[in-house]
Amino acid sequence: MREPLSSVALRTAVVAFVLVWSAAPVFLVVLSSFKETPEIFAYPPSLVFSPTLEHYRTLFQKWPDFVWTLRNSAVIALAATALTVVASVLAGYVYSRYRGRGLAASALFMVAIRLLPPIVITLPLYPVVSALKLADSHFLMVILYSTFFVSLGSLILKTFIDGIPEELDQAATIDGATEMQLLRRVIVPLSAQGMVAASVFVFVYAWNEYLFAFIFTTTRAKTAPVVISEMMGSLTGVDWGLLFAAASVQLVPVVAFVILVQKFLIAGLTAGSVKG
Amino acid sequence: MRKFGLPQFAMLLPTQGLLVAIIAVPSAYVLWLSFNESSYGSAPSFVGFANYEAIWNDRYFWRALVNTLVVINIIVYGELLLAFLIAAVFVKGVPFRRLMLAVVLMPYAISEVVAVVIWKYLLDPNVGSLAKAMAGLGLPEIAWATNPTHGLGLVSLISIWLHLPFTFILIYAAMLSVPRELYESARIDGAGGWQSFRHITLPGIMPAVFVALIFRYILAFRLFSEVWLLTSGGPARTTEVLAIYLYKQSFTYASFGKGAATGWVMVMVSGLIAAVYVHLLYRRGFRRDA
Repeated sequence: MREPLSSVALRTAVVAFVLVWSAAPVFLVVLSSFKETPEIFAYPPSLVFSPTLEHYRTLFQKWPDFVWTLRNSAVIALAATALTVVASVLAGYVYSRYRGRGLAASALFMVAIRLLPPIVITLPLYPVVSALKLADSHFLMVILYSTFFVSLGSLILKTFIDGIPEELDQAATIDGATEMQLLRRVIVPLSAQGMVAASVFVFVYAWNEYLFAFIFTTTRAKTAPVVISEMMGSLTGVDWGLLFAAASVQLVPVVAFVILVQKFLIAGLTAGSVKG
Repeated sequence: MRKFGLPQFAMLLPTQGLLVAIIAVPSAYVLWLSFNESSYGSAPSFVGFANYEAIWNDRYFWRALVNTLVVINIIVYGELLLAFLIAAVFVKGVPFRRLMLAVVLMPYAISEVVAVVIWKYLLDPNVGSLAKAMAGLGLPEIAWATNPTHGLGLVSLISIWLHLPFTFILIYAAMLSVPRELYESARIDGAGGWQSFRHITLPGIMPAVFVALIFRYILAFRLFSEVWLLTSGGPARTTEVLAIYLYKQSFTYASFGKGAATGWVMVMVSGLIAAVYVHLLYRRGFRRDA
């Protein structure tokens, strides 16, 4: 059966649109970070040029705290991911294997409460955090980021654990396993995919987040997005090359990560929201 | 069925503890604060609904509210439309499918800050390729810094760009899960492309569209970073959205009571949207004694 011409045309148009819309802006920025400054201004943008690391040199010389903020972003994102996954496996397991009215109500609370706008809690947290000397600390950022993803994480893990036959639990229990052993030996290994799916969301969120980082960090725990926003704002006559270099260093690892685990991203989103 | 007891409660504790300590208690405090007059160095004093009255009579609040409602509707429906179109084409098969999916998902990995850098650059009249291409076509310059309509338009565009992957995934996954046999039998019964789309695809993906809509309404309602980084609400407070208004009341003008009242307005509006979602989820998920 031959495909009608209109359908071929539509497909071509959509594919072209997707390439220009999603990929081209990102590629242009990364590519331009290797161009000499006059080359950046060239129109149409050149695809062939002699690459330079000039902007990367300037970045690491003039913004020494950029490396520090990258390290902060990595530490905070990894710790938030670990905390979220552990909390989510435990909660996901209970919601999958136990039933009860109170439990259903707490699941409802879990899903509903995280829909509140994060900015609302910054106002009351600010003085508390200062009083507890937690302002500008890695610990605070890890807690904040985990809090906003334990709900999705628990929903994702519940869905994945639902897929593990309960006969396996029973077999393990008959063999004398305690519930903790059951979790470690059966549930955790068999829900590994769900754990990866949950990790993708927290990690990407924590690595990229701006609002909390902007309000709660100043120096010690400052993250990469905050320092990039300062580069964008503070410069009179923007140094585009520098900005592109910083943006590229920040985005390339996480874009590569998302592409690598895209299968889990899709599985996690559908498990966390549609199937519920 | 196993009995829920203390060990199970302990297993829920990390998740529920975080939610209670970091979201529920502070939100309750915000509610209390919204009925008090408070600033740096002065103890809160009860003022009843005065803060709500004050923001009700503040034209900048209304400007922020209207901006928020207009922008989130543009974002949510713009995204839905694009996601729908792309998913409908992808589901029939595209060349290099895995690669193309990666391309669609790419903006999901980009931070709001970098997205603002990217679009500011593209639309900069001196360097931006997009600005130069538009000038070549005789189109006007996007004056996002001085023209509030352009500013909010660009905010919407960046937001759609960042969140299209989310909406796309939900709709694409739903389209993939519509059973192929339904299309087969429709074709045998003589249904055309449009008819099978109208009578099979659409009803099949409606639940997912609904979930995507509600989710995106709630998330778009939080809109802060794109506006803050692009216009900071200017010029002359014309591009503020509710989150920016709240931030300024609380942290710039140190009027905590009014900030809190704004916060509680935001909580109620998103609560209303969330209630619809949770109601549906609850009915389908946790009540069912599977």
